[in-house]
Amino acid sequence: MMLDTLRRLSVFIILCLAQALVLNRIHLFDCAIPLLYVYFAIIFPRNYPKWAILLWCFFMGVIVDAFSNTPGVASASLTLVGVLQPYLLELFLPRDFDFNVKSSVSTLGFGNFASLAAFLVSIYCLMFFLLEQYSFFNWLYWLECVVGSVLLTLVLIFPIESIRK
Amino acid sequence: MHNLLAFLTKYYHWFIFLFLEVISGVMLFRYNSYQGSVWVSSANSVVGKVYEWESGLTQFFSLVERNEALTRRNLLLEQQVQYFQEAMADAREDSVQSLQKMMDHLGNYTFIPAKVISNSIDRPDNLITIDRGSKDGVEVDMGVACGTGIVGVVYLTGDHYSVVIPLLNTQSRISCAIRKKGYYGYVTWPGGSSVIAYVDDIPRHAKFKVGEWVETSGYSSIFPRGVLIGKIIDIDDSADGLSYRLKINLSTDFSRLRDVCVITEKDFAERLRLQEAALDSLALQRNRN
Repeated sequence: MMLDTLRRLSVFIILCLAQALVLNRIHLFDCAIPLLYVYFAIIFPRNYPKWAILLWCFFMGVIVDAFSNTPGVASASLTLVGVLQPYLLELFLPRDFDFNVKSSVSTLGFGNFASLAAFLVSIYCLMFFLLEQYSFFNWLYWLECVVGSVLLTLVLIFPIESIRK
Repeated sequence: MHNLLAFLTKYYHWFIFLFLEVISGVMLFRYNSYQGSVWVSSANSVVGKVYEWESGLTQFFSLVERNEALTRRNLLLEQQVQYFQEAMADAREDSVQSLQKMMDHLGNYTFIPAKVISNSIDRPDNLITIDRGSKDGVEVDMGVACGTGIVGVVYLTGDHYSVVIPLLNTQSRISCAIRKKGYYGYVTWPGGSSVIAYVDDIPRHAKFKVGEWVETSGYSSIFPRGVLIGKIIDIDDSADGLSYRLKINLSTDFSRLRDVCVITEKDFAERLRLQEAALDSLALQRNRN
């Protein structure tokens, strides 16, 4: 448990720094931003305590917010993803799973994991850009941002997932 | 009672979820109503420190280029000084006296040099973080400028870091004037290109040409008079047809911003107090009526 927490913490820090120092600078076609830190919320295993998922996600959101000067935007959206993750993971489980099955390509199979990731990242991006742009809202630009960022984020998640064991 | 407890233990994570969302909502809305969010922004000292390390590193790699730019600029300035000295000598004016006048004018202002440690130019609400805060004398609403022109106005201050609203923010409105003509207007930026901004409220009877310079007016206490903003590249009518709307090319290159100065006026606090007193008395009068 302790070891798992430490490992999770290191992933947490690495993802925060990567987002703050590198990924936040990337704006493809003026709309697509890679939001890789959502990956952190996707990989919680089955039966991980729900309150812990929520707290992890919330603090991840707060830190990302602090770095990009958007208080509340990422934390609200990532907490939403955190509360939905256990239920969606349940949906995509294969037939013969362990009790504490991990959420990864090797245990779920590529198709299932890809659908799970796509679902969660889409929910996140919808919420994130809705909150970020609510003051001057433009449907078309919003959709462009959501679609662009979802694709870019997934493109980043799959190679990382294939490296992870 | 037992059922209630069972219900709570089964679904307690939803309550945590609601609680965290409420906190996020509070952060989201508090920030828009000005101040109070130094903790969740890059004026927070931990975030500031990380950005400072990063900018120190990236700065190192651009040193050669910056040196060249500085040398070029220095040469240009030296030539200008030479030219003006000659011009002054020609005019046979008492040069000591005019220098004195210039120093007196700028003497009201002090400059706090600062480094930009985080910057963005591609969003509608860009913000800049600098590495000077309230402990260094930076206060909210002070002006920020760099060697090539205006940058923005301080919005939040932490102990050692501050967040600046640059001209490249849809919410910034900085009063300006056309150089030597003195017609007043204000600069806004509607988003999009980081080198184009617009000047509104220039009166219809004003006479000026494309290619003339727009500078700060000095009416607000934030900037001294004559800080460069940009060059007029197009003249258009405003939406209501009552004034001109000028398209200007900004003199500051926000994408390469590194060294800036926070401009503080010596009697800044006094002016602010006076302004607040005036607003208060106006409000009082309104209430009476």
